[in-house]
Amino acid sequence: MKATTKIKTRSLMACLALTASVQAAEADQNRIHGGELVLAPTQTNAHVRNFNPYNFSVGAFYAQDFIYEPLWIYNIAHPGQDFPRLAVSFETADDLRSVTYHLRPGVKWSDGQAFSADDVVFTFELAKSHPAFPVGLDIQSDSNPNGLIVSMEKVDDLTFVVRLSKPSGLAHEHIGVMYPLPRHIWKDVQDPTTFANSEPVATGPFTEVRSFSMSQFKVCRNEKYWDAGKPYIDCLKFPQYSGNDQTMLAARAGKIDWLGDGMSDPERTYVNGDKHNKYWFPAGANANLHLNTHKAPFNSLPFRQAFSMALNRRFILDVATFGLTTETQFPIGTGELYKDWYDAQALQPYRYLMEYNPKRAKALLDENGFVDRDGDGWRDNPDGSPIEFKLAVPSGWSDWVNTMMTVSENLRDIGVNAHLSTQDESTWFAGTTQGDFDVYIMWTKPSATPHGTYSLMFATDGLAEGRRLEQNMHGMVIPEINQALDRFAQTQDRAEQKKWLTQVHKQVAEKLPVITLFANPDWYQYNDSRFQGWVTQDNPYVRPMLHLGVPERGVHVLNLSLRKEAAAQVARQ
Amino acid sequence: MRFILRRLGFYCAAFAVALTLNFFIPRLMPGDPAATLFVSLRGRMSQQSLDAMRAAYGFDGSLWDQFVAYVFRLMHGDLGVSTVNFPQPASEMLLYAAGWTLFLVGVATLLSFAVGIVFGMLAAWRRGSFFDTLFTPVNVMLNAFTPAVVALLLLYGFALQLEWFPLGRAYDIDLEPGWNMAFIASVLYHSVLPLASLVIIAIGGWHLSMRNTMINLLNEDYITLARAKGLSGRRILFRYAARNAMLPQITSLALTFGFVLGGALITEVVFNYPGLGKFTLAAIEKRDYAFIQGQLLFLTVTVLLANLIADVLNLLLDPRLRDRSELA
Repeated sequence: MKATTKIKTRSLMACLALTASVQAAEADQNRIHGGELVLAPTQTNAHVRNFNPYNFSVGAFYAQDFIYEPLWIYNIAHPGQDFPRLAVSFETADDLRSVTYHLRPGVKWSDGQAFSADDVVFTFELAKSHPAFPVGLDIQSDSNPNGLIVSMEKVDDLTFVVRLSKPSGLAHEHIGVMYPLPRHIWKDVQDPTTFANSEPVATGPFTEVRSFSMSQFKVCRNEKYWDAGKPYIDCLKFPQYSGNDQTMLAARAGKIDWLGDGMSDPERTYVNGDKHNKYWFPAGANANLHLNTHKAPFNSLPFRQAFSMALNRRFILDVATFGLTTETQFPIGTGELYKDWYDAQALQPYRYLMEYNPKRAKALLDENGFVDRDGDGWRDNPDGSPIEFKLAVPSGWSDWVNTMMTVSENLRDIGVNAHLSTQDESTWFAGTTQGDFDVYIMWTKPSATPHGTYSLMFATDGLAEGRRLEQNMHGMVIPEINQALDRFAQTQDRAEQKKWLTQVHKQVAEKLPVITLFANPDWYQYNDSRFQGWVTQDNPYVRPMLHLGVPERGVHVLNLSLRKEAAAQVARQ
Repeated sequence: MRFILRRLGFYCAAFAVALTLNFFIPRLMPGDPAATLFVSLRGRMSQQSLDAMRAAYGFDGSLWDQFVAYVFRLMHGDLGVSTVNFPQPASEMLLYAAGWTLFLVGVATLLSFAVGIVFGMLAAWRRGSFFDTLFTPVNVMLNAFTPAVVALLLLYGFALQLEWFPLGRAYDIDLEPGWNMAFIASVLYHSVLPLASLVIIAIGGWHLSMRNTMINLLNEDYITLARAKGLSGRRILFRYAARNAMLPQITSLALTFGFVLGGALITEVVFNYPGLGKFTLAAIEKRDYAFIQGQLLFLTVTVLLANLIADVLNLLLDPRLRDRSELA
C-alpha cells in the first residue's frame, strides 16, 4: 500500500547517531566527574558580563553550545550522523512546505521550569518582532518578502510546525541551529538586542556563572541538564587574553586545555613546550580568489583560466602556507570538507585548471589578445588598455599574505602586472561590501551541506553596482547555478541532491567565477594532561574546533572528562 | 588673575576644538565598526536585519545627525555604547582601564622622576667622579632604548627563563579583586616587570635635565657665597642647589602627568596589562568610535588640566611672571 501522506523522517538517522556517539564515548562508569577545563576564548582586553547567545560582540561565544543548546547539531564531519539536542526528531512534509519538530521530553530550564514548544515559538516571535536581533532565521516579512519561514506554530507542548513560504527540503538546516530562549525570562526583556543576560537561565550543560572578574570567569555545570550524568566536567574556565603572544606563552606552557590559534610552526612553538600539547588541523573551508568580474580583464573567461593555470599551488601549499593547508582537487570553490559530494569523474576534465602550467597560461593569453601592446613589458587588454591590478589581503594574516605574494609572482611570470596590497584589517573588511576592488582572497562558509556554501557564493540579492556581499564578491550571476541549487533544495534524496550539485560544480569549473586555491586548516590545539575524550585524527567524531559557529563543540565538551591521574591530583590539593 | 582667566579662556576653546576633532578623527579612518562587527553575521541575516542592527548600534543617519547626537549625549555625561563590547557603555571600560593605567604609568612616572632626580643631583654634585662617568652615559643610553626592547628582554629573562615574575596580567586571575592584602600583594608582584620596563627608560631624561640645571646653578654666585660662609656640603646641595634646580623639573613633571592617560601601549601589550593604551589600540583596530572618542576626551582633559596646573605652579614659583601679569 502506498501511503498518501508520505513523510520523510530523520528520526531513524537520529537513533543511529545516538548509538554512534555512545560507541565513540567510553563506557560511562569509567568516567570521573569533576575538574575545570581551561579554554582560550576570543581575545579581549577585559571580560564583559554578557551571556546573550545572540550578541555576537561578546555573549555568543560563551552562551551558544555551552550555556544554550540548539535544537539539532549537524555533524558536518559525518553527514547523516547528527546529534539531536532539544529536538529528538523532525519531519519535512511531503510537499516540502512545512517541517514538524518533536522536542525532547523532560528537559528543564536551569531554574526548574519546563522547556516546551512555547519557548521555541516565543524565540521565533521575538526574532520576528526585532529584526535587529540576529537569531539568524530567514523570516518572511514586509521588508523581507523572499524569506523562507512564514510561521512557527505550537501543536502540543512537545511539538511545533514550521510553515515555509516555498517548498524546501533544506529548511531544517536553518531551523535546527536555533537556540531557544526561555519565554518566562525573556518575555519581560525590553530590547533583546541590548540585553546582557548576565544570569543566564538555559538548558545547556553549563549554566552557573561563577567568580566573574574582568580577567577570568567560570561557567559551571547545570545540575538539571537533561542528559543525566553529563557533563563530566564541573566548570569551564575562561581566562582573559588580549593578544596572540600572551595566549601562545600560556598554551605552550600547557596552561590551556583547549584552544584554536593560528600557528605557522606548531611543532616548534607549541608542542615543544609541553609533551601533552597536541594539535590537529583538519581541512576546513576553502580559500578562493574573487576576481572582480565586472571589469576587464577579469570579465574574460580565458584570462581567468590562464590566471588559474599560472598559480603554483604546490608552492603555496608547502611553503607560503607553511604546509598547513590541504590541496583542493577541482576548480569548484570547495574542497576536502565536502569530499563525499564530488563526482570526480564528471570533474576530471577541469582538473587541468588546478595544475601549474605557466606555458599553457601564456599561450592562452596570447591566443586571446592579452599581449604587450605598449611595449612596457607587461601584457595589456585586447583593446590596448594596460593591465595592472592589486591583490588585497589584510596585513598580518601571514599565510594569506604569503599566498597573495606567490600569486603576484606567478602572474608576473606570465607577464601580468599584479601587485600585492596589504591593508589594515578593518579597511579590508569594509572593502568586501563594495564593488571597487580587483582581486580579493576570501574564505567560504561551511554549512551542513554544500548547498549553504554555494547559495551564499551565488546569492543574487547582494549584487548591484558598488555593492557586494563577502561571499559573492566575484559579482557573477549564473542562472544555471541558482536553478540547480533550487532543485537541490527541493529534494531530500541524497543521490538526487548530488546530481544537482554536480551541475553546480560543473558550472563553477566551466565559468570560473572564483579561482580555487586550497582548503584552509581548521585550528585546533589541546592539552591532554588533565582531560581525556578529545577529538583526534584517529577518532574524528566531530569537527574539533572551539570557535563560535561550530555547534559540535557542544558534543565535544560533553565527551571530555578528567583523567585518573589528574583526578588524583585534584583530590590531593 | 587676568593671566589665569586668559589661560582658562584658551583652555575652553581648545577643549571645544578637541571635542569636534574627537568626533571626526575616528571617522576619517577607512572602514567602519559595522563592517568588522557584522562580518560574522553576513550570510546569516537578511540585508533588512543588518540595516535594523546598524540602527540599533547608532550608525544610521547622516554624519551631522550623528555629531549632534554625540554632543547631546556628551552634555549628559554619556560617552556612548562600545561596539567591541556591545552594549556595554564605553565609559565603563574606559574607567576600568584608566584605573590600571593611572597606577602603572603614574607610579612609573613618579618613580623614574624620583630616581632620576637623585641620580642627576648626585652626578652634578660630583661632576667627573666615578658615579657621574658611569651613570650619566648609562642612563642616557637606556633612555634611547625603545620600550619594546626593554619590555621583551625583561619578559624573556625574568618571566620566561628565570620564572621569578608572572608572564603578564595585573594580578593573579584566581584572586577576586578587592581591598585585601593578598590581592594588593599580587598587584604589586605583577607590576614589577611592567614598572621596571617603564622606569628604566624614563630615568635618563630626568637624570640629564636635573644634572644640567644643577651644574648651571652650582656656578652661581650664591653657591660660592654659601661655600665661603662655610656651610656644610650637604646643606648647600639640598637647601641651595637642588631645591632651586627642582623647580623646572616639577613643571615638566606636571606636564608629563597630562599624558599618563595615554597609557603605555607597548608595555601593556607585552605584559597583557589592562591599560588604556591596549584598549585604545583594540578600539582603533575595530573602529570602536565611542571608545576612541572617550579616550581622546580623557586625554584632552588631562593634558589641559596638567597645563593649567603647570601654569599656576609657574605663577606661584616664578615671581617675574607674576609681576609681569600684574603689570599687564
